[in-house]
Amino acid sequence: MGLSEHIVMRELDIPAINDFSVYRQHDGWEAFADALRTKTPADVVNMVKEAGLRGRGGAGFPTGVKWGFLPKGVYPRYLLCNCDESEPGTFNNHQIIDRNPHQLIEGVAISAFAIESHTAFIYMRGEFAAAAITVERAIAQAYQAGFLGKNILGTGYDLDIYVHRGAGAYICGEETALMESLEGKIGQPRLKPPFPAVAGLYGKPTIINNVETLTNVPRILARGVAWYRSHGTEKSPGTKCFSLSGHVNRPGNYEIPFGVPLRELIESPEYGGGMRGGRPVKIIIPGGASAPWLTREHLDLPLDYESVAAAGSMLGSGAVIVLNDTVSAPHLAYKMDEFFKHESCGKCTPCREGTHWLVRVLHRMAEEGHAHPEDIPTLHGIYTQMAGNCFCLLGESAVMPIKSALRLFPQEFEAIVRQSQNGHAGKPRPAAAQHAIPLGLASRR
Amino acid sequence: MPDVTVTIDGVTIQVPSGTNVVDAARMAGVAVPVFCYHPRMQPVGMCRMCLVQIGTPRLDPATRQPVLDDAGRPVIQMMPKLQTGCTTPVSEGMVVNTVADEVKFAQRGVLEFLLTSHPLDCPVCDKGGECPLQNLTMQWGPGMSRFDYNDKVHFEKPVPLGDLIYLDRERCILCSRCVRFQDELADDPVLGFDNRGRNWMIISKSDPPFDSKFSGNTTDICPVGALTSSDFRFRARVWELDSRPVVCTLCPVGCNLSLDMRYNQLMRVMPRENGAVNDIWICDKGRYGHRFVDHESRLTTPMLRRDGQLVPASWDEALALVAEKLAAVRQAHGGSAIAGLAAPRLSNEDLYAFQKLFREVLESNNLDQRIGAPGEPALDDLGALLGPGTGSDLAQLGAGTTVLVLGADPEEEAPLYVLRLRAMARRGARLLVANLRPTKLDRSASTRLRYRAGAELAFLRGLLRALSDEVGTDRLTVKSSGLDQLRRALFATSLDDTAAACGVSAADLKAAAATIASAEHLLIFYGAEARSAGPAVVETLGALLALAGKAGQSNSGLIALLPGGNSRGALDMGVRPDARPGYAPLAQPTIGARDLWNAVQGGRVRAVWVAGLDPAASLPAARAALDAAEFVVVQDLFLTETARLADVVLPAASVAERDGTYTNAERRVQRSRQARPPIGESRPDWQIVQGVAQRLVQAWVATGAPAVPAKGPKDGKGARGARGGVEVGAVAVAENGGWDYLTAADVAAEIAERVPGYAGVTYPALAATGKPGSWGRQVNEAIYYDGTNYENTEGVGIKLPSLIESGRASLNLAPLPVPATADDRPLLLIAQPLAYDGDPLLRGSRLEAHVPEPYVALSRADAERQNIRPGDIVRLASSAGELALPARVVDDLPQGVALVPANLAGVGLATVQTGPRTRVSLVKVVV
Ligand SMILES: Cc1cc2nc3c(=O)[nH]c(=O)nc-3n(C[C@H](O)[C@H](O)[C@H](O)COP(=O)(O)O)c2cc1C
Ligand code: SF4
Ligand code: SF4
Ligand code: SF4
Ligand code: FES
Repeated sequence: MGLSEHIVMRELDIPAINDFSVYRQHDGWEAFADALRTKTPADVVNMVKEAGLRGRGGAGFPTGVKWGFLPKGVYPRYLLCNCDESEPGTFNNHQIIDRNPHQLIEGVAISAFAIESHTAFIYMRGEFAAAAITVERAIAQAYQAGFLGKNILGTGYDLDIYVHRGAGAYICGEETALMESLEGKIGQPRLKPPFPAVAGLYGKPTIINNVETLTNVPRILARGVAWYRSHGTEKSPGTKCFSLSGHVNRPGNYEIPFGVPLRELIESPEYGGGMRGGRPVKIIIPGGASAPWLTREHLDLPLDYESVAAAGSMLGSGAVIVLNDTVSAPHLAYKMDEFFKHESCGKCTPCREGTHWLVRVLHRMAEEGHAHPEDIPTLHGIYTQMAGNCFCLLGESAVMPIKSALRLFPQEFEAIVRQSQNGHAGKPRPAAAQHAIPLGLASRR
Repeated sequence: MPDVTVTIDGVTIQVPSGTNVVDAARMAGVAVPVFCYHPRMQPVGMCRMCLVQIGTPRLDPATRQPVLDDAGRPVIQMMPKLQTGCTTPVSEGMVVNTVADEVKFAQRGVLEFLLTSHPLDCPVCDKGGECPLQNLTMQWGPGMSRFDYNDKVHFEKPVPLGDLIYLDRERCILCSRCVRFQDELADDPVLGFDNRGRNWMIISKSDPPFDSKFSGNTTDICPVGALTSSDFRFRARVWELDSRPVVCTLCPVGCNLSLDMRYNQLMRVMPRENGAVNDIWICDKGRYGHRFVDHESRLTTPMLRRDGQLVPASWDEALALVAEKLAAVRQAHGGSAIAGLAAPRLSNEDLYAFQKLFREVLESNNLDQRIGAPGEPALDDLGALLGPGTGSDLAQLGAGTTVLVLGADPEEEAPLYVLRLRAMARRGARLLVANLRPTKLDRSASTRLRYRAGAELAFLRGLLRALSDEVGTDRLTVKSSGLDQLRRALFATSLDDTAAACGVSAADLKAAAATIASAEHLLIFYGAEARSAGPAVVETLGALLALAGKAGQSNSGLIALLPGGNSRGALDMGVRPDARPGYAPLAQPTIGARDLWNAVQGGRVRAVWVAGLDPAASLPAARAALDAAEFVVVQDLFLTETARLADVVLPAASVAERDGTYTNAERRVQRSRQARPPIGESRPDWQIVQGVAQRLVQAWVATGAPAVPAKGPKDGKGARGARGGVEVGAVAVAENGGWDYLTAADVAAEIAERVPGYAGVTYPALAATGKPGSWGRQVNEAIYYDGTNYENTEGVGIKLPSLIESGRASLNLAPLPVPATADDRPLLLIAQPLAYDGDPLLRGSRLEAHVPEPYVALSRADAERQNIRPGDIVRLASSAGELALPARVVDDLPQGVALVPANLAGVGLATVQTGPRTRVSLVKVVV
């Protein structure tokens, strides 16, 4: 049973909501106007806190609590809207911007007001060229209508919003790397502490939130805390826009309340519409590439932060990737880790070297069908040497695919080793040895 | 900062709060391996090598007090993940475990990871043998790698980052030490990163590439062999090297160096730690500019002029001839017909012996350390009078210190001071940089003060006026005279008028004065551009220090950036026409370099002895005079232009081949050791001088001719305890005029005895290191963690007291008269010393390629006014003459200034200069 009224994906209720005048007709920007006229920033922070809004960018951290971390009396403060959306399988931010952009901008404006910031940046994934134009147009319309700029609605509040496009790096979605990138530096995470709320962009107190998080905010103000909390679970109130992909009949973004079981998302004709060709589910990755894998046994797992965490995985960005039995676990691990290797920023040793090494071994196994008996302990060794030792979460995430694959499907790795030892290897080994240069010669030139 | 108690592997110690876990462990004698962390730079936590287990006392949520266990000890709560020690500051009660299985596993893991991408080409790597990656792998790494060797990624290598430094990308472990050194410490942010992941790589961002005078330091702190220098690449294996401690004589900082020798050949130059002087760094001039010692053009035998040709001769012949000729001149015309010039880079022993020969044997006071060029400013006495007091240590200075840098370009004049000044500023010192033009130091300044060209004196008077408005004159506690005259001069004009005259606003002058007034320590550096503005400017700096109440105090004082590596020593030793050793003034003025060439032409001086200087190269008047002189002796490393004119040429030993002491800009005396036997028949300069002196003394004893001064100078002021028959060092001295030194130590012992201020500065005393080093290093520990610089085992030198401090002089505050100039040519010609200039010592080094072609730099406005574009030839004309040079157009140069490198070969500045500063007009030469 679908939502009678969507909170984020309101284009499903009001098809032309991406049109500024249509958005206005449906009380668009009124929550902001009302906040400016009748509320203090602290009131807004409190409402968001009470609504229990949790960050949709991955960690599910309570948004109002995060806003409360800002040190008192230190200005200027910045608001950053994270629209780097580069996690494999995650594509809801893109749709929000495309179909309901004004609500996002209003959310940015309200949140900026709440944290007493006068400058907000929307950091867009570099590839989102068309979406960047959409956002920029929406911002221009808001300026024109007097919702942005100086002395907004005569209340004395000033706010400017800027759009910044990245240059194509997943790591720039990590909050501190995003700040470095925004400052014009190489996109790599910073040492924490200090945390962004204390010293973020340009060393100033900074709040960073995901697109979906901020898009929730106008509705919390418009409809009230109680209404908002009537969706979802006690600890995960509201709805989540799940990006469903994989071997399902109807991949796409679906906004459903937290707590709905996985099975319903996959099988309901309103959502996934079941598995393609009726093949069985083999692997479910519930929260983007960084999330540990689940299997068929977890189909009845309620989709909220606590339940998924209790099952040993994480809801993350809400990218649910469902794969059937045609998928080879080693190959999936290879593909996933190839992504992390490609996106590793290189700053720290375990991630830079570990992902590279993992991919070399997995490529040989999964793509070429070559494996030594020692490869399996080596793979275990590599990820255990990475786990917990990386500078940021990207490296820690890279552990998940290989660790999950080895834990859940060890026999598939063993089979490759066996075949390889029995001479049933697939393709001939395209020896990396070809470009191995004899020692000494290489360095002497 | 209050101390914090921590326990590391069971060792409980107190460390200052704010210390990170790696440093705290080091203090506890526990080694935590690091790659990216360097104790001189901000931690970044990138390499993950320093992962350790950390726990803190569990606090009762209600009381915020530690929860105690049954035994009454605090319950320690270990953090769930390992933490990087380099980025974790200690906290009270913290417990650190660096040997837990988890820690060892992580350390092995990080090393195994690093080695997966490493080419393992140690056998051909310059770093092999002193490589932290090798060393840490031995101690903490896995014995084997599981990595398939065929999976190695190979990169093209090496790639030049510049012409001095090569990058081997395969060896680079991406620790960013090199980048951070350039950004944080050197302030030449010329390195950076490109790409990401395994393709992340170091690149040079500047044009010309790796444009920094400190680039060599990156090869020391690079924890692998990724950065190698073109100067040392593949020259030797490090275990073949014999490290010999010397002192750099290429500028007045006096950095401590190691000459790394193999079979008596110089392989490379490395820094030796000295916290008070160069910390663990050296500049590229010191590192790469010592190839001259092995240059094939070094003189190896004495030479005599026979039939107009210089031909090799024996030392006996040469010394006998010199003695004979000088004796003859003295006999015929008196000692005053002989003059001597000695370079201010020679050691104290050489300079002392030189002046002693002149004063005591030849009876001539015609001595100088200059060549008599019009651009040479007056000799500097203030740096001795008011130098930083005993116990001064730049390494200790930070918050509470104000540093004024006036008319100086330390990057060119004394490169390492840039690092020292920046380090002080980072520790909280306030850095006031005052100059007529921007220099690199501006970027590190807390305040930049830009006075109008030529308005130095007005600026300083304004500053002094603002200071006395702020603090009065009560802080003036040292013996002084002339305060009233000074006050009259200061209050003759209003502060606003002075401000208008110098171009620095009254508000800025007041703010700077307040910064000076509030300082606990006040250091004033001044350079060639300040000194060229005339003695009145320098004197005013002294008044500033005195009125601020900092005269004669430790960690406060004046530091002059003088041209030679031992200029301060040359002044102390009295190699000057107006004073004996120890600043004892002479009653009668004598012939200094400025008057020398005329005196030769006029026949008043007939014999000239030049040690280590080359006046003929840049001074036509000197060339003509040397040509005309009756007898010329030159002792040098090379057959210089001057040597070519000599009657006798004597080969001198280089700094690598002899012992000696040198007195640096802040008047710290440091000992340099002989690194190898002299090449050919060359000899240390003091020995050459002694050879002549002994022959003269013998001749005079034999002939009974002129009196031999056996008890020191007749007017023995300032030279106590002459050596006649006195026990000096281990050597009993006979009645031989005191010319029986066996070693440089004997000369030094006599200096200690006879030169005021040098009491106690003997070789044994100079060897004290004040262990443990300034930052508590354990023996050879640096090679494991911090880089390949050497620890100091040979002495950190002795800081001399200033003359004011030791009560040997008083301060005259009366303003010096300023001669009026009546020259209305539009531009002020300023000769700018460059680090990479025409110095013959750069011979054979890769720095020769960095010496610019001659040029004159002009402001954009001045250039545009005459339609001058970069590269156009312009003619500078003064009342003395003309000079044509290609123009450079520099955006941030102020109008009205023409900046010309001071010491480029073949520029012929002397033809146009009328003095240290010359007014010139400018014409574009149309061709
Ligand atoms: C490697 C990496 C990539 C990330 N990418 C994104 C992203 O694309 N979008 C996003 O909102 N958060 C991303 N995050 C999470 C952010 O760091 C941050 O936690 C989030 O933007 C906070 O917003 P929220 O509180 O609204 O969830 C990423 C984190 C990591 C470690
Ligand atoms: S874990 Fe390390 S290398 Fe990987 S993205 Fe984060 S900082 Fe960069
Ligand atoms: S070149 Fe050396 S110092 Fe620089 S990042 Fe690489 S390993 Fe570190
Ligand atoms: S700063 Fe001066 S003393 Fe130090 S190495 Fe360079 S030239 Fe030599
Ligand atoms: S992370 Fe601490 S030394 Fe590199």
